[in-house]
Amino acid sequence: MSEKYGSLIPTGRLLDGKPRTILFDAAKCIGCRQCVQACKDWNDHPRTTVYELSSTNWITMEPPVLEGLSPLWARNSCMHCEFPMCAAVCPVEAITKYEEGPVVINPEVCIGCEYCIYACPWGVITKNNIIDKASKCTMCSDRISEDKSPFCVQACPVNALDFGLQEEMTAKAKQRENEVGGHLYGDREAGGTQVLHVLKEKNEKYGIRPVGPQQYPKHKIPVGLMLKDLFTLRCGLQGKIRALYLAVIHPKRLIYRYWPWRNAA
Amino acid sequence: MSNASELFPQRRLTRLPGGYMGKILRVDLTTGSMKDENLPEEPVLRKFLGGQALATYILLNELSLKATPYGPENKVVMMTGPITGTGFTPGGTKVTAVYLSPLTDHTLGRGASSGFWPVYLKATGYDGIIIEGAASKPTYLSINDGRAELRDAGRVWGKGARETEDLLRQEVGIKDAKVMCIGPAGEHLVHGAMLCNDYNHNAAHSGGAVFGSKKLKAIVVYGTARPRLHDREKLIDAGLRWRKTLQVYSVEDRKDVGYARQLGALPNLNFRSTLIADHNRGFDQNRITQRPCFQCARLCPWDVEIGEGPFLGKIGHFNGGAEWMDTFWNLGVKGNATLYLAERINDLGIECSHFAFGAGVMFEAWEKGLLGPEDTDGLRLEWGNVEVVDRLLEMAARREGKWGNLLAEGPVEVAEAIGGDAPKWAVHTKKGTPAMHDWRPHFGQMLRELVASGGMKPQGGGTADPPPDLRYREKWGPLDRDDPTGWPWSNVLAEQYRQFCGLTGGCWFAQMHLKPDGLKSIVDSFNATTGWDFDLDEALVAGHRSMILQSIFGTQRGWIAEHDWQNVGPRFLEPVPDGKYKGFTIAKWLPDMVYEYYRLSGRHEKSGRPFVDTLTQLGLEEFREWGQLD
Repeated sequence: MSEKYGSLIPTGRLLDGKPRTILFDAAKCIGCRQCVQACKDWNDHPRTTVYELSSTNWITMEPPVLEGLSPLWARNSCMHCEFPMCAAVCPVEAITKYEEGPVVINPEVCIGCEYCIYACPWGVITKNNIIDKASKCTMCSDRISEDKSPFCVQACPVNALDFGLQEEMTAKAKQRENEVGGHLYGDREAGGTQVLHVLKEKNEKYGIRPVGPQQYPKHKIPVGLMLKDLFTLRCGLQGKIRALYLAVIHPKRLIYRYWPWRNAA
Repeated sequence: MSNASELFPQRRLTRLPGGYMGKILRVDLTTGSMKDENLPEEPVLRKFLGGQALATYILLNELSLKATPYGPENKVVMMTGPITGTGFTPGGTKVTAVYLSPLTDHTLGRGASSGFWPVYLKATGYDGIIIEGAASKPTYLSINDGRAELRDAGRVWGKGARETEDLLRQEVGIKDAKVMCIGPAGEHLVHGAMLCNDYNHNAAHSGGAVFGSKKLKAIVVYGTARPRLHDREKLIDAGLRWRKTLQVYSVEDRKDVGYARQLGALPNLNFRSTLIADHNRGFDQNRITQRPCFQCARLCPWDVEIGEGPFLGKIGHFNGGAEWMDTFWNLGVKGNATLYLAERINDLGIECSHFAFGAGVMFEAWEKGLLGPEDTDGLRLEWGNVEVVDRLLEMAARREGKWGNLLAEGPVEVAEAIGGDAPKWAVHTKKGTPAMHDWRPHFGQMLRELVASGGMKPQGGGTADPPPDLRYREKWGPLDRDDPTGWPWSNVLAEQYRQFCGLTGGCWFAQMHLKPDGLKSIVDSFNATTGWDFDLDEALVAGHRSMILQSIFGTQRGWIAEHDWQNVGPRFLEPVPDGKYKGFTIAKWLPDMVYEYYRLSGRHEKSGRPFVDTLTQLGLEEFREWGQLD
C-alpha cells in the first residue's frame, strides 16, 4: 500500500488487504433502482429523490426517468478510484483509501471545505448542508470489513451488479465485454478504479463522463475558495489547526491541492 | 362497536410497534377538511395488523348500514402494513383499499396494489388514508411529506391512467412522485373500474368507480420518511431468507401465454374452449423489460415493446398475472393485438374480467344470431375483431351508447338486455366477475373464486399439498380430482395465510407458500419489523380474523353464504368443454363444498355468519350481534 501511494493519501485496511471491485453490467441492468433504494436502506437514509445524488442518495441510475422506462441505464456513484483525488486534496485527511477498495469520507473529521467535491472527476460527492459535511458512497466499507458484499450488490435482482476480488471481477468483466461486444469503463479512467462498468454502447449514450487515464486527475477547486480558506476562518478554527498540523507533518500531501498540474507520483 | 374517537386515540397510551408510521390521514372531500388520526392502540394493531383487516375494521366501525356504494357516505379506507416499505424484504409493497362494493351493493369491495405508491404513501408519514364524502368537482389529493392538500383535477379528468400519472407528476413538480389514479372508467362509474398506479399496477374490483363517484381522480404521494424497525439485523436476515424462496419470472416467461399454461386452460370464445394454440404468435419478437416492484426480486411487472405486425412499436405496461391477455383471447383475439388491447384496458382503468365476460356474451350472442348489426349500431361483433373490441373498450370506459353503458354495468346486465339464453352464458360470481382465467379445471381455485369469505374477490386458493411450513400438522394430500375431500380445508388454510401476508403489507404474489420457509420467513420478517412474537399459528389466526371481518361486512348488508353458489353465472359452472380436463366440473360437489368451507372456517354453512364461539376465539366479541348462535 505504501509503495503504491507513498504518503500522498491516507490509507487503511478493513479486512485482509486484498483489493476488491464492484462490477456493474449495464447490459443486464433493467433500471429498477433496487440498488439505489438498498443503499438508502442500508445507510438509513430518508427516502429522498432517487433522481439526484445527494447526501442521502449515493447512487443514481441515469437517466432520471421512471424505473424501467429507458433502454439504457448508467450507474452514477463513487468509482472508488485507485488514486482518489478527493483524498489527495482533503486538507484534514478525512478521506481514506482502503486496501480492499473503498474510498471513505470520515464525517467526524470532515470540515466541509468542499475541495473533494470539486476534485472528484465524476462529480459524485455531495454536501450535507445541514451538518456541513461531504458525503458519498462508502462501498459499504462496514460490510466489507465483515467480508460481506456492498448492499447495493446483494440487492440487484438481475445480477447486473457483482462484487469480488479485483482480479476475478476484472476477468469476469472482460468476459462479459466480449460476450456483449461492448467495452469496459473504469479500468483505466483516472488511473483505474474499483468499480468496473461493462457497457454495450458508447459512453456518450449512457451520459457517462469522459475521464482521462491520468492518476489523481487535475482538480477544479476554485482559486478564490482556496484563498478564502487560507485567509479567513471558513471551516472553523479547529479545522484550520488540523490542516496546518497535517501540512507540517505530511507536506507531500499539499502537492495535489496547490499544484494540481504537477504529477508527484 | 367502538366509536371513531376510541379507535384513534388522541394520545397513544401504548407503544407504537415497529414498521408503522403511526398516523392515518382522514380526508373529507365534501368539506375539503383533513385530519390526522393516530393509529389505534397496540392491542388493536396486534389483532388486525394492517392492510385489509385493519381497513375493514375501521370501515365496520364507521360505515353506515344505509350507505350506498356511490353515495358520499361510502368510504374508502386504504391501509398499508408494517412491512410495507421497509426495503429489507421482497413483497413489502402492498396497500389494500376497502369500501362498499358497487358490484354487489352489499359486500366488501377490496382492491390491493403494489409497485411503489404504497411505499411512498408511508414515506409521506401515513400508514393509510380514510376517504369520505364527495368532491363537487374533479379533485386530486397531493401528500408531500405529511402535507396534504386537495387540488383541482380538471386538467386530467378524462385522461387515461398513464397520461394522468405523467401530468400530475409535472403539476406537483416532483419527477419521481408516485401516483394512484383512475382512468375514464372510474370517472364514468364503470362498476369494474380499477385504481391504477405506477404504470404497471392496478387495484381492481371497483375501487376506481368509488373514487369516481367522489370525483377523486388521483392521490399523489411523495415523502422521505421511513418506519422505525424493531430489529433491523433480524429483519435483514429474514428478508434474505424470504428472498431465497422467490420463484423468479424470466423475460422468456413473457413470451408465452402466461398463467393459462400453468392452469392447462386458456379461455377461448367466452369460456367455450380451453385449448392453447398459437395465441402468443409474434411474442417472440417483442422487447420485454422487467419492472419489478419496490425491492422485490420476484420480477412480476413487465413492459412490452411490440416487435412486429400492425402494432409494431406500441408499448404496454403489465403486472405478473396474465388476466389482460386472457381477456382478449376470450374474445377471439390472438397475437400482439392482445397486448395492444391489454394496454388499452389498463390505461382506461377497467377490470379486465368485467369487460371480458360482458363483451364475451355480446360476441356469443352475435354468433348465435341474438344480436345483429341493427342492434349494435353497425358494430360487427365477430370473434377476434380487434377494431370492434377496441371500440367497445372506449364505449365501456365512457358509458357511450346502450352497449357501452351495459358493459359498464357488467355481464349480468349485458346478458339480461340481450335476453333469450344469454344469461346462461354470463360468467359471474355474485354479479361481479372472477379473476380472468379459466379456473374451471381446478377444485381449489374454483372454490376460492366462489366463496371469498363473502367478498367479491378471493385471495389464496387450496393446494393439493400443504405448504411445507405447515406439514408438521397438515396431512391432507395429495388431494384427488375426483374427490372433494380436503379441498375446503385446504382453501380455508390458504385463505388464512394469504390474508396474513396481505395484512403485514406483504404481497401474496411474493408469498411462495409451496416452498420451504415460504411462510415462516414472512412471519419472521413481520416479527423483526414490529417487535411482536407471532408464530405461524397466530399468523393464521390473524388471517382468519380478516376473513371473518369480510363476511361480517356482507352479513350486515344482506349477504348470505348461499349466494356464493346460487348467484353464479351458469357458464362458470359448466363442465370443462375440452382439453385434458374435459368434463370436469366443481358443480356436482356444490353446495357441499361451500357448506364445508364455511363450517370449517367457523361460520354457519347457509347464513355465512360466524358462530359466537368463533367470534370469541378471535377476540371479535364486539360483533356478537352479527354472529350465529347455533
